[in-house]
Amino acid sequence: MLNILATMLQLNPSQAPQPPNVDNTTIWGHMSDALHQSLYRVLSLLIALLPGILALLAALAVFTLIGMAVSAILRHVLSWAKFDDRLTRNRTDDWTPSTPPTELVARASFWACVLLGLIIGVSAFDTSYATGAPLPISLLPYLTHAVGAVFLLIAGTLVARFLARSVLIGAVNAQLQYARFLSLGIKWLVLVLTAAMVLDHLQIGGNVVELAFGILFGGIVLTLSLAVGLGSRDLVSRSLEGHAERSGERGIPPAAAPTPNTADSIRHF
Amino acid sequence: MSEIANPPERQGSGLLVVLTAMPAEQLERALAKLAASFAAEDLLIAVPDTIAANSYPALRIVPTPTTSASWTLTPADFVNSYHLAEKLGARAIIVLGPESGSLEPSGLRALAHAILSTPVDLAVPCYDLPPHAGLVNSAILYPLTRALFAARVRFPLAVDLGLSLRMAERLAGAAQRFSALKQGERLVWPSNEATVAGFTINEFNVGPRTLPQPAEPDINAILALVTGSLFADIDAKAAFWQRARQSPPARYALPHPASQDGAVDIAPMLDAFRLAYTNLQEIWSLVLPPNSLLGLKRLSAMSAAAFRIPDSLWARIVYDFLLAYRLRTINRGHLLGALIPLYFAWVASHFNITDSGTEPESHIETVAAAFDADKPYLVARWRWPDRFNP
Repeated sequence: MLNILATMLQLNPSQAPQPPNVDNTTIWGHMSDALHQSLYRVLSLLIALLPGILALLAALAVFTLIGMAVSAILRHVLSWAKFDDRLTRNRTDDWTPSTPPTELVARASFWACVLLGLIIGVSAFDTSYATGAPLPISLLPYLTHAVGAVFLLIAGTLVARFLARSVLIGAVNAQLQYARFLSLGIKWLVLVLTAAMVLDHLQIGGNVVELAFGILFGGIVLTLSLAVGLGSRDLVSRSLEGHAERSGERGIPPAAAPTPNTADSIRHF
Repeated sequence: MSEIANPPERQGSGLLVVLTAMPAEQLERALAKLAASFAAEDLLIAVPDTIAANSYPALRIVPTPTTSASWTLTPADFVNSYHLAEKLGARAIIVLGPESGSLEPSGLRALAHAILSTPVDLAVPCYDLPPHAGLVNSAILYPLTRALFAARVRFPLAVDLGLSLRMAERLAGAAQRFSALKQGERLVWPSNEATVAGFTINEFNVGPRTLPQPAEPDINAILALVTGSLFADIDAKAAFWQRARQSPPARYALPHPASQDGAVDIAPMLDAFRLAYTNLQEIWSLVLPPNSLLGLKRLSAMSAAAFRIPDSLWARIVYDFLLAYRLRTINRGHLLGALIPLYFAWVASHFNITDSGTEPESHIETVAAAFDADKPYLVARWRWPDRFNP
């Protein structure tokens, strides 16, 4: 196939005048050279990076093993020294973890070793990358951004869940009928914000992401406002009227919590 | 702590009465009641140093550092009381909280007699409250304290206490720990401290009393504060209460005043519960076992007239929330917030039961007995939370 292509592209000297500064090499030859050079560059790059990757994996494996050993030793030593009992006896605060302190120390030491291995491995990889042939794309900085984006995503999801629950419980205790809707709205607001931040951090999308985020964020806020302000207006007015009537009749001041109607007010405390 | 001006002539002779921070008119009523209850030479009265010590020449008054007014006794009250008693050489202390002017003289004398003449370290009052008062205490504080600490204390968060000197020292120590940990909002639970220390506790009927109410009208915040504080105290004393203890003797029957509160409209509380049932199931399912969720489902379908929470279900719910507090299953603020609608459901059920002719005290004792009976469940899940999930 390539031969046919080369034959087709080969110029006939009798049909066209020969340019004065073109040598006799065919286009196929140029293409072949270009492909060979590109292949050579990529293979050279991989060969240059391979030691770094191997160093990263080796450092991670070795330090994981060391971490397991340190963790096991610590667990045995602390159990032998009755660390949990001593800590409980000498404790002045009310900190009561669900996991025994010995186990916590052992786990912390294990993960510290793994983290150390990761740092050393990445450092080795970085060194190898710096001394090797330059990458056509900036891989390592992008990797760093990707890790940052993952952390952003995790933090955003946690914050969204926490706020959604806070709003849900607060709204239910304030007897808002649209508590779940409000909670969902808050959750999606935070998730959309998180997604926009992640994409921005990864430098994907550029202005499109900002624009889309603005539209989505504004849309959710507008939807919530319309739903609460207009969609539930009958409910809100009924609720307010009922509340005002109860307060007026029985002299109970309005409160967030449901204050039951009693001839003589209920005292919870 | 400020210096004590004009130290009394006769020191170490007996009783120190500490009046906590309260409005001026309440303070006057309390002083008048004390003057009517005791001979002036028998007691020293410590009042916040906002009033002049010579305002009441008939009484021997010493100033005490002013603390922020609260509806219950604060850690600072315990610390000040002990330091003052130690300085003045008092043998015993009576701490009186806000609205203590509403106490009967006989009740005050009973507390003083108990702490001075009997080997009691902690004299706790038992108030005659209207049936619709002190509901958080009846639903959660009393049954939990009785079941776990085996203490015969109807009002674990009483605002008036009689303390021996060593009891005051113990409470001051606990209060100082909270201050050191910057947990000034935490409440000190005197009966729990006394039980753990092995001190003698006794309860005395002091008659009716107007209980001070929180200034903050939001019951959600106060309920979370009180319940959270008790849960934290139980968590900190787990090594003590997990050991099997003898059940407390039956409490003497309270001379309960006839209910004049009239019928209670429980509809708002049931609405709150049903709204929570439709919205908070996801959160409740993280805390409660399937049996309890099934019980709540049945409750949500009940009519207002037939609404009754079985005592065993209520005990199990409170225990499961206590376990979730300990295990941090969900954020503790969320956890205590999710308990509030269930508490309202209990209150509605309690009113239904008492309206049907059952004495309120009788029902509260039945609830407390259910907590006693279910204590093995709490102990088992406290020790092996992952292995035991019915």
